Amino acid sequence: MDYSRPDLADRLAAAYVAGTLRGPARRRFENLLPAHPTLRAAVRAWQDRLMPLTAGVTPVPPPPQVWQRIEARLGGATAAAAQRLPWWARLAFWRGFAALASVATVSLALLLATPGPVQPPIVVVLNATAPGGEGGVIPASFVASISGDGRAVVTKPLMNVALGQDRVLELWAAAGRNPPRSLGLISAQGATVVRRAQLPAGTDHLAVSLEPPGGSPTGAPTGPVLAVGSL
Amino acid sequence: MPAATNWTERSRELARLLARAGLGDRAAFATLYERTSAHLFAVILRIQKDRAQAEDILQEVYVNVWRSAQSFDAAQSQPLTWLTSIARNRAIDSLRRAQAQPQIQAAPTSGGDDEQDADVYEQVADDGDGPMELLSRAADARALARCMQDLSAAQRQSVALAFFDGLSHAEVAEQMRQPLGTVKSWVRRALLALKGCLEAAVQRDAQGSA
Repeated sequence: MDYSRPDLADRLAAAYVAGTLRGPARRRFENLLPAHPTLRAAVRAWQDRLMPLTAGVTPVPPPPQVWQRIEARLGGATAAAAQRLPWWARLAFWRGFAALASVATVSLALLLATPGPVQPPIVVVLNATAPGGEGGVIPASFVASISGDGRAVVTKPLMNVALGQDRVLELWAAAGRNPPRSLGLISAQGATVVRRAQLPAGTDHLAVSLEPPGGSPTGAPTGPVLAVGSL
Repeated sequence: MPAATNWTERSRELARLLARAGLGDRAAFATLYERTSAHLFAVILRIQKDRAQAEDILQEVYVNVWRSAQSFDAAQSQPLTWLTSIARNRAIDSLRRAQAQPQIQAAPTSGGDDEQDADVYEQVADDGDGPMELLSRAADARALARCMQDLSAAQRQSVALAFFDGLSHAEVAEQMRQPLGTVKSWVRRALLALKGCLEAAVQRDAQGSA
């Protein structure tokens, strides 16, 4: 069967999401998903259509032991770090950045293999300055993770950023009222690993600005600031 | 919690928690669990009625979410949609063929065309937390509710039984006392009609705001 045929993809996806596709047919369909973008897109569209129907279901709080069992499965805060691949090692899986990320993984692994205790990363949410596109500013928000030693920053957009062809995003770190320092350009689509990030001492916020290709020509933000987050 | 909390609104705050969880923030994950577990548990329980099994599924779902939070793409899907889909998939997978018989409601045996049966199905389905009741409560998504109204009562009932209670075509047919083929085509036509209606609504919105 040709699963890239949109009508067939749509019919199967509808039955899959509605739950009427069962048994071996359901498993076959699930096995096809990774290799068929048309099917995946159709499934996503049907999930968007149908899942809001569950909004009317009266919530049933699960018994507390369920959370206890989940926590036990994930291990304690320290055990978790050992059990689960640390966040920087998993960068390799970040969509669209496989190559860059593997390089970063190796170098970061080397970087971090030496010192003893690993500090947990600091996670910062950079909120859009114009969530509704006020004043013609592009709505954009990000999440950034700063490694415990402050030497690497990973950013990831939280929404679809409608970036023009001739514009790029630049990440800045600033301490108090001091002029911000550029940490480099970041992607509007997927995760960006900013290594060698020298965060200025006392950095208390991160920001993302809109810049011409190649980044700010002046060393200071020239375009509008799209998103800001405090540490 | 009000049943009709806006889906998109709830999803927006959850996107942050999920992104933080993806970067290893356990506290954010705990908050995510706090805010979503009762919804997911309810969705699972409707499909998998065995409480112990439903609890196991819920546990699996969140362990899975913690491990794959990283791959969640906020630009592509809404968190609540993503989470609910994972929960539903697990619940459906847990159903064995030798599932307990669904409770048989008194349904009309006189077959016939969709529209004629409308009133009878409305009556049958209108008790408490029945699938039909749930459909009408999803009124939060107004476009969806309006589109649902366009379906015949039989189509609505068949989709609701399959979707909320995880019944297979055969089980829906048994419960509604209708031939399997009829039920299959009701479900399929209902989904297609829903899709067309929702797409039209989206287009109207786009034109309205342009």
